[in-house]
Amino acid sequence: MSCNSSGCQSNCHKSDDQLSDSPPPPPPPLAAANNSNNLCLKCKTNSPITPGSLSGDEARFCADCFRSNIYGKFRLAVTSHAMISPSDNVLVAFSGGPSSRVALQFVHGLQDRAQKNFEASKDKSLAVFGVGVAFIDESAAYPVSSDKVDGAIQDIRSVVSNLAPPTKQLHVFPIENIYATDSSDGKDRLTKLLDAVNDATGKEDLLLHLRMLALQKVASQNGYNRLVLGSCASRIACHVLAATVKGQGYSLSADIQYVDARWEIPVVLPLHDCTSQELNLLCHLDGLKTLQPFDSPPSGINGLISSFVNILQEENPSRECTILRTAGKLTPFEFNRIPETDDCNVPLAIRRRQKRYNLKTKESISSELFCPICNGPLKNCNSLKLSSLNSCQSSRFNAACCSSCQFQILPKDPSSMENFCSLLPQQVVDRAKLGNCRLREQIQDCLLSDSEDEN
Amino acid sequence: MEGNHEKARVRLCYLCNQRRAALKRPKTLEQICRECFYEVFEEEIHQVIVKNQLFKPGERIAIGASGGKDSTVLAYVLSELNRRHNYGLDLFLLSVDEGITGYRDDSLETVKRNELQYGLPLKIVSYKDLYGWTMDEIVKTIGLKNNCTFCGVFRRQALDRGAALLKVDKLVTGHNADDIAETVLLNILRGDIARLSRCTSITTGEDGPIPRCKPFKYTYEKEIVMYAYFKRLDYFSTECIYSPNAYRGFAREFIKDLERMRPRAILDIIKSGEDFRISTSTKMPEQGICERCGYISSQKWCKACVLLEGLNKGLPKLGIGRSRGLDNNHRKDVKQINGTKNIEGKQCGSLDF
Amino acid sequence: MQLTLEFGGGLELLCDSVKIHDVNVIPNLEADKLTMKDLLVWVRTNVIKERPEMFMKDDSVRPGVLVLVNDCDWELSGQLDTPLEEKDVVVFISTLHGG
Repeated sequence: MSCNSSGCQSNCHKSDDQLSDSPPPPPPPLAAANNSNNLCLKCKTNSPITPGSLSGDEARFCADCFRSNIYGKFRLAVTSHAMISPSDNVLVAFSGGPSSRVALQFVHGLQDRAQKNFEASKDKSLAVFGVGVAFIDESAAYPVSSDKVDGAIQDIRSVVSNLAPPTKQLHVFPIENIYATDSSDGKDRLTKLLDAVNDATGKEDLLLHLRMLALQKVASQNGYNRLVLGSCASRIACHVLAATVKGQGYSLSADIQYVDARWEIPVVLPLHDCTSQELNLLCHLDGLKTLQPFDSPPSGINGLISSFVNILQEENPSRECTILRTAGKLTPFEFNRIPETDDCNVPLAIRRRQKRYNLKTKESISSELFCPICNGPLKNCNSLKLSSLNSCQSSRFNAACCSSCQFQILPKDPSSMENFCSLLPQQVVDRAKLGNCRLREQIQDCLLSDSEDEN
Repeated sequence: MEGNHEKARVRLCYLCNQRRAALKRPKTLEQICRECFYEVFEEEIHQVIVKNQLFKPGERIAIGASGGKDSTVLAYVLSELNRRHNYGLDLFLLSVDEGITGYRDDSLETVKRNELQYGLPLKIVSYKDLYGWTMDEIVKTIGLKNNCTFCGVFRRQALDRGAALLKVDKLVTGHNADDIAETVLLNILRGDIARLSRCTSITTGEDGPIPRCKPFKYTYEKEIVMYAYFKRLDYFSTECIYSPNAYRGFAREFIKDLERMRPRAILDIIKSGEDFRISTSTKMPEQGICERCGYISSQKWCKACVLLEGLNKGLPKLGIGRSRGLDNNHRKDVKQINGTKNIEGKQCGSLDF
Repeated sequence: MQLTLEFGGGLELLCDSVKIHDVNVIPNLEADKLTMKDLLVWVRTNVIKERPEMFMKDDSVRPGVLVLVNDCDWELSGQLDTPLEEKDVVVFISTLHGG
């Protein structure tokens, strides 16, 4: 990896990706400069960053080497998993927090470079991928003053419009718009839906699933074909433990890969290998403004896990990475890759790379059943579900869900269950129907093969 | 008085609806009386045994007995069930004497009482006899660092040797649901995918000299302790004097915090452990035989022999840490567990037993 | 108020290895009754001799410590709000010690 430090003797900075839009790096802090032995681990020239509260390995790099290291991890993730192709139209999910702020900055950096290459090339053969930004307005779910939200949206507008061209469209999407646009009571329904969940952890997780629905809707309505999330290593590490604690061991490996194409619009996680400490530091160094109008500390089980991971990090700063490494050894699903494309606009190299990563055709994708709430793949249909196919709609819905959602999200008694189902967005209901159809097919297949066995 | 009446009226057993409820089951959140508790507790273990075909009639079974709550309850319940359901098992108590004054000598007294109380023959194997060293002597030589590594390796082998002496077919241990959930977490935290894939199996070591199984795999620690308390079972509950921090493990504390917030989390963790998609092609170390003592080993010498060699040569660090033992094969699987780190949880006691 | 306290499962080590304590707890003057919450505070100052963090966490017992009031799981009687009466027997058992 090259070093883009101005003081770096390797002279390689020209070849590296400069983020044209980022402000000039701040001068090295004086405190560090006092000690001449205390130099950046990598370039051995500049003073390392000495941030007030951070003391991990990242603080032993100089700002430039640190920046290029993080960007390098991002770029490696993007290229090695074919996350973005020239013909793509990419939507960056932007919450205003440090992770998605960096994701936006880096995607912008990639696009900027592609744009420069495009302008420099003679034949203009390589298209420049498009970038849009989505902000989900969750006022309906949080007790936040509308002033605060309006202010945040204004700030976000200026962040997005201040990025160098090509222009990036910002989509501000109220989360209640997951309901059909013709229904005016979306906010009301959403509140009632969330109120119907008794478990604090379940409520939080349901909102997370609804946020994904919203992002998918923005992406599909506006012609995007990739959704970039800022999920970082620290966040994924927490998810690994949370999913384990919630009994979602089977579906876990679907959630933690670089690519997740079980959604209509494939989701990619280019910051998969960056820790939140690194991303926070980068925002701090580069003066990237962060704001999170809907930031609330995780509660319930999620809160317990996040404080547990914090304690672990104190004891051993690489613990998050170890957790990630363990989870990385779990077998991913077929949909954890970018679907193959026959688009001839896509350069051959990329198509070849896809061939290498794509092992099998889509057949096995369709065999998977998904929980309509969390969209987690389900482990084998069981006989319980089989019998439920002939029962009423709400109990059919219940049976289509994973055991974790059944426990922490769905109401226990049948009458509340009916009410709950009536409050769900159409996409969720459709997912359940699709699941039931697939289940019926599978059962029929099973019955067929059973009778064959008998013969 | 009125309040008391109110309480008594409300708290009737969920199952018999007659007697006063005595505890809330973490597994089901039902409030049940003592008598019904005994019944469901024992019946559930019986069902686990039957469903997983843990035993065959006529088998000789050793119960790893430390004198602690888990193995004491296991010994009691197993001998009950054996009688009640005619398993046709020959049960034995098998204890390891590590040679720790003021700890194991006391807990062995408990096991000796259990021998009489339950009428189960007891076999004690000692580190002194097997290895020539007591833990007291080992600690005198190496100090309090890494002593749990020695103890863990020696105990595992001692149990197998004891089981061989008793000519048993199987060894049962008192690992409970909390222990297994904790092990799942620890294996995630330390990146050990091989152990992660097998730590939730109810039976392990079927390729080894003596298979081990865990009839308490789905049994909550809370219920084991309640059972022991209500039945006034005689068990020993002092922490090993050489690992005073063992039970302070973050993971154990985390499990207990989780249980308080959501009791079913313990079973959910075990379910996750069973469901993880782990490809079975993960390389397992090749099993061979220790050239020195004949115990199963993936190396030229087994771990215990390597450690012993170090002790006897005055090089106690031999075999500790990431060393590769005495042979120069660069096999990756010989990574040692660092027993001194807090996060590795309780090396002593129930986990490695 | 005369109460019998029993410590087991290793908790007795925190109070000079004495398992059974017959104690006289004087209820708070302001409140006319004594609850488990009050008792825990009292036990912590008057009975526990060492490592109180092994016994309590925040204002309750440490997770993993079982509590029985008159041989009944305190989870059935309201945990910290469990009212105590004359001659009640309160048992604390740790589940955290060795297996």
